[in-house]
Amino acid sequence: MLRRPDPARLIAALGRFASREHDERDQRTAAWLGVALGVSFTVAFVTGLISHFMQHPPGWAVWPSRPVGLYRLTQGAHVIGGLATIPLLLAKLWTVYPKLWQWPPVRSAGHALERALVLPLVAGALFQLVTGLFNIAYFYPFPFFFPAAHYWTAYIVYGALVIHVATEWAKVRGLRASRGGPGARPVGPSRRGFLATVAGACGLVGLTTVGETFTPLGGLALLAPRRPGVGPQRLPVNKTAAAAGVTPDPAWRLAVTGQVTRELSLSLADLRAMPRHVVRLPIACVEGWSAEATWAGVRLRDVLHAAGVDAGAHVRVESLEAGGRYRTSEVDPPHWHDELTLLALNLNGEPLSLDHGYPCRLIAPDRPGVLQTKWIARLVVHRS
Amino acid sequence: VRGRLIAYGFGATLIGVGGVGLLRDAADTDPAGWLIWFAGAALTHDLLLAPLVLGAALLTGRLPARYRRPVRVSLVLAASVSAVALPMVLGLGRRAGDPSRLPQAYGVDLAVILALIGLAAVLAVAVGAVRRGRSRGLR
Repeated sequence: MLRRPDPARLIAALGRFASREHDERDQRTAAWLGVALGVSFTVAFVTGLISHFMQHPPGWAVWPSRPVGLYRLTQGAHVIGGLATIPLLLAKLWTVYPKLWQWPPVRSAGHALERALVLPLVAGALFQLVTGLFNIAYFYPFPFFFPAAHYWTAYIVYGALVIHVATEWAKVRGLRASRGGPGARPVGPSRRGFLATVAGACGLVGLTTVGETFTPLGGLALLAPRRPGVGPQRLPVNKTAAAAGVTPDPAWRLAVTGQVTRELSLSLADLRAMPRHVVRLPIACVEGWSAEATWAGVRLRDVLHAAGVDAGAHVRVESLEAGGRYRTSEVDPPHWHDELTLLALNLNGEPLSLDHGYPCRLIAPDRPGVLQTKWIARLVVHRS
Repeated sequence: VRGRLIAYGFGATLIGVGGVGLLRDAADTDPAGWLIWFAGAALTHDLLLAPLVLGAALLTGRLPARYRRPVRVSLVLAASVSAVALPMVLGLGRRAGDPSRLPQAYGVDLAVILALIGLAAVLAVAVGAVRRGRSRGLR
């Protein structure tokens, strides 16, 4: 008879030890948590892709400008849902932790592959939640550019999740099939209590952060990195003028160039002399916070029509910023035709403060905050 | 079986898309640095966080039954909010000149939430004691 080598005995003992304090044989707990994680990661993946493709639109996609708060909703779900998923993921890993120390570590080639695919799932899920949390806290200890790493890792995690669900589907089906059937373990207070505790933890995290985008709960947003009414002119600022290297220029003019019938060069007084419109629109940040404000200014479409443009034209909005990834943004036809899209000059009843984009910034419905370009210098009209 | 094979193919494709994307976008993703964080996340959980939780589970397992559940529940809640709050409490993302970024006293806020959780645990123990006392009285 073969004696197990010592490390094996150690690991097996560790596995038994780990499973003693929670009933790991109760696969139904893990399956329920898995179902919840499947839902939350699907929401995160879909809303994340929406956010990515809004900022990097592929040629075939046209993003609508309505409903006004759609991006606010999808990105709020992405970020607050992601935060609430942190206790959920940790609970799931806790229930399956003894499996990490199973012996023998590999029973067959199929088992080896199955276990190998758990690594990208676990590592990737933890990676997404940790980097996402650090990002909304403006804490960047990692060497990569967060949006790129978070975006590509999402495919790895979700791919591994799809495979995992396909492998474990029988257990999920068993949740319904075995209810009350012979051999079913009774729904004991321990499992119910555990799942209720996890739900409570997820809810508590959501409750103390969701107010950064869902204003009625703003008072409870004790742990949120932003408060909707806090900032110059009662609106948060993401990039200050100092950080962007922008200083006020008394000789400022707005240039409208490119594929136009006549080029324009408008002073602030020229813009103020044009028909003035007031809109109530949110800044909806990719970081999940959002805040509504009252904006006043000129409709973008009025300026473009004055310059003479095709109905299908695209507009590149260029900032006074010297550089940076978000110095310019593209405005596609659905957005510039929208009557709510303004070249804003006023915010909450006062001229824009420098940090909010003085003298002129873009504000449009259903658009990530990072694309609401501040300190506009030029509008360049082009065909595609 | 066919559905499962389709799912495997779809999943593998997504993993491939992510892997190729990471490598092609190397200037932004820093694949070596990414790998350290990717594997590091799993290792930190498996070798540090999970054993710590295991230790807490064993320690609380020694508590009398009437305290065990409230203590464990409140520890789970407290640890969850603390984990999410930690980057805010540390405030490393604060920038001079932008007071709207991380504008709150997160240490105080977290302390208040933890105190409320502790209070709820004490109440739960007290309610349990009263109930037990009452059922003894009835007998």
